Amino acid sequence: MTSETPHRRPGELVFALLLVVFSVAAFWQAYGISGFSSKIAPGVFPMIASGVMVISGLKVLISTARLPKQDAGAPGFLSEILTGRHLVVIGLVFGYVLSMPFVGFVASSALFLFCAFQFLWRKNPLLTLALTATTLTLIYLVFREVFQVVLPQGTLIRGLF
Amino acid sequence: MLEALGFFATAWTDPWLIFLVATGTLTGIYIGAIPGLSVTMATSILISFTFKWDVNEALALISGVFFGGVYGGSRTAILLNIPGAPSAIATALEGYPLAKRGEAGEAIGLTTVMSVFGGFVGIIALALFAPVISEFALMFQSRDYLLLGVIGILLVGTLSGESFAKGAFAGALGVLIGMVGLDPMTAEGRFTFGSIHLLGGISYVAAMIGLFGVAEALVQLKTLNTPAIKQKIDRIIPKFSDVKKYFWLAIRASGIGTIIGALPGTGGDIAALLAYDDAKRSTKNPERPFGTGNREGLVAPEAANNAAVGGAHIPMLTLGIPGDAVTAVIIGALFIHGLKPGPLLLVETPHLFWFIVGTLTLANIFLLIFGLTGIRLFTKIVECPKAVLIPLIIVLSSVGTYAIQNNPVDVYWMLLFGVVGYFMKTYGLEVGPVILGVILGPMMDSNYRRTMLRARSDFGDFIWGFISNPISLILTVALLFMLLSQTKLWSYLRSRISAGRT
Repeated sequence: MTSETPHRRPGELVFALLLVVFSVAAFWQAYGISGFSSKIAPGVFPMIASGVMVISGLKVLISTARLPKQDAGAPGFLSEILTGRHLVVIGLVFGYVLSMPFVGFVASSALFLFCAFQFLWRKNPLLTLALTATTLTLIYLVFREVFQVVLPQGTLIRGLF
Repeated sequence: MLEALGFFATAWTDPWLIFLVATGTLTGIYIGAIPGLSVTMATSILISFTFKWDVNEALALISGVFFGGVYGGSRTAILLNIPGAPSAIATALEGYPLAKRGEAGEAIGLTTVMSVFGGFVGIIALALFAPVISEFALMFQSRDYLLLGVIGILLVGTLSGESFAKGAFAGALGVLIGMVGLDPMTAEGRFTFGSIHLLGGISYVAAMIGLFGVAEALVQLKTLNTPAIKQKIDRIIPKFSDVKKYFWLAIRASGIGTIIGALPGTGGDIAALLAYDDAKRSTKNPERPFGTGNREGLVAPEAANNAAVGGAHIPMLTLGIPGDAVTAVIIGALFIHGLKPGPLLLVETPHLFWFIVGTLTLANIFLLIFGLTGIRLFTKIVECPKAVLIPLIIVLSSVGTYAIQNNPVDVYWMLLFGVVGYFMKTYGLEVGPVILGVILGPMMDSNYRRTMLRARSDFGDFIWGFISNPISLILTVALLFMLLSQTKLWSYLRSRISAGRT
């Protein structure tokens, strides 16, 4: 259990607001399924769930708004919550996941691991390359050979990897 | 009885299954110990790789990882003051001061023996009580399952998060995610937005891996450069006199652990903290003050959190209600293998129940062996930098999600859940209730509609059902009590009562 935060975290109010907006949109969609036509219609339970979300989301928003703001010198959203490091890693992951169907598991993972290791670990590129090769070989052997998982093969260079 | 023994021994007589349990336990210890890797994360990724396996093999591996993982968290708690898992928070309070005195080896030895002891108590409770509860649960009606689902989600939400509202939001969000796709009763689309990718619903394994794997990896990015502390390890096997001395305390802590583990919504973390608190109250003349390396404070939470493993299996296997996030993931594994945890599990597939009891017992024995050996190698491995660990978690999460249905769309979902989960965790919304909601949502929906159908859509009859049957009444009162305890009226009443006393 974490104790109550004395100050509002950067971006917390926007997040709480987004929770409410999302919940209201979800409720609207849930209402659209079958409205109030019957008590056992497929839309009733989604309406109950999204209704709970709207109420609890509003409660979260109110209590967040009541929290005192951070001090003037405190780190902001980009230096505390979504740092440059997060943005780069999330960007790399998006690139990785989106490229996997095209270039296949081996090539995309090799590229992702190398870039991510190099960015986060900041060692000699040759060392990073060796680490990438070792870990990828291990992952490939364990999952392809032991677990017999069918790994994605790229549409671009199918047959190669 | 003989039949049950035969099922129990299945894992004990097959070398391949023994190997799988051993591998699972060993891997679990490391996973639980390495900060940044959690049992929930590992189990959710494992499910995706093992779903094509025979159910016994998959369960053998998963049981091992569960047991090993719950214990493994204590090692980093002692050595590095970083609880590898939430259930090891109390362990760090006493274990790390012991390590600072150079008694890390002894502390690890004592926690291992007590964890195994607690583990056995939990397993015995599972073997004794699950059949009784299961029989009792056959009397449960659909509205009781609806109530149990709501209570389970709310308990996980309120006990793990920052506030009741945040817990309720997370749970309801999970239920909503579980509703996506074709309605199983009318085949009408819900939240499908005309996309064929959404007709089958959102894969809950993708949600699990995203929320527990990628989101956690993103959280870990914040503490990338925390340096590891080197440790000196000497004596590991604990003295017999020590084990004897803490025997009764371990029994009591294991009892607390089993009961807390068996309550829907509470798991090893709360069990450990309660047992720690109990040890603190009940130890009259502590050798050292609590918080400075007190052994009672080390023994109690460790016995309790491992006892909670057996305890948590009780509601999961008998009622189909997972006790915490890990059991929610394991219940997902059982669903994937076509099994239906609930009161009928023991009637229809008793072999599976006794097999689980057998593998848990085996895993506990391996825990003793691996717990007392290989600690020097262990200290090297846990020093693995997070900069290396985080990209690996992401690759494993992606492969794992893809492996379920060989569908890249699942991987996109996983990634989306990962990013959303990161923000949720950052702003104090726990992701555990979301998964519980996803798993329990469809069950609650169908039970709500069954209950309403039985009441012939009459709202009065529907409500009357909740108070006219003794089981439903108890559950309704429990739910109302939970809701009431979150209101201002409750705190007002409490202040009035305490004012009345003084």
